[in-house]
Amino acid sequence: MTLHFLHRHVLEDHLAGFETRPNPNHVTVYRRPLILSVLAHAGQEAAVFAHLAGMPGMDVRVCGPGEWMIVSAAGSRRAEEVAEELGALGGASVIDQSDGKVLLSIGGPSVRKILAKCLAVDLHPDVFAEGQSANMLCCHVAANLARTGLEMFEITVPRSLAGSVFEELMEMGREFALTASFSGG
Amino acid sequence: MASLITCPHCGTRPKEEFAIRGDAEPRRPSAGDRDEAWLGYVYTRDNRKGRIHEYWHHAGGCRRWLVVERDNLTHAVYGVTDAAQFPKAEAAE
Ligand SMILES: [Zn+2]
Repeated sequence: MTLHFLHRHVLEDHLAGFETRPNPNHVTVYRRPLILSVLAHAGQEAAVFAHLAGMPGMDVRVCGPGEWMIVSAAGSRRAEEVAEELGALGGASVIDQSDGKVLLSIGGPSVRKILAKCLAVDLHPDVFAEGQSANMLCCHVAANLARTGLEMFEITVPRSLAGSVFEELMEMGREFALTASFSGG
Repeated sequence: MASLITCPHCGTRPKEEFAIRGDAEPRRPSAGDRDEAWLGYVYTRDNRKGRIHEYWHHAGGCRRWLVVERDNLTHAVYGVTDAAQFPKAEAAE
């Protein structure tokens, strides 16, 4: 029997879910993001941060004093190349975490109400402004949260706990009809 | 309330993000110090009531060691500093 692209099993939707298009409240999972950890050596913090902030196509996430994650959701550059560039800079230790972390974004008009059930941190824009990021517990997991828009956040979690975080996010978003999909499809 | 700790790096956070290590006031004796000094440092600890300094590790956030000054009777928090900034009193001799 030949299977072609029109072939759909009668139980397709029952297994994969009936929601095909994203609702206003939506979780996007990035398939192959680029994530590197950067730790500045003592005294080099400002110089390293200035370089990171100027890297095209990479977002800088604050983890703690002298520690950052640099993230590219699209994964457009090779990790080795980025690590090499930062290695040449000196003054920082860099490690590729792309395979060890999961990056997802959550956004929509109810995003703060959903996240209020997952985090115990004040996300009012006066306190946690657009562009800000920090490590915090999300669904009991050590995560990094970044505000990428007024109603848009990105969450980075260790891959071994990503399944549990994802399930809890979806459960907390159920009353707001939260949907989820991979980026670009 | 002691259930909210304002980390100097991360801002106000729930206590669930922290691991408490204990009293920050005893001074570590030097390596060659008398056994009595080490015995006192390791085993003989005060269990004071009231205003205390404690080591808190921000495990769920910046992962820095902090020193929290709080009242263990009323749960009031008076201050939080990075342990690197915590003034080490005159080194134990
Ligand atoms: Zn912190």
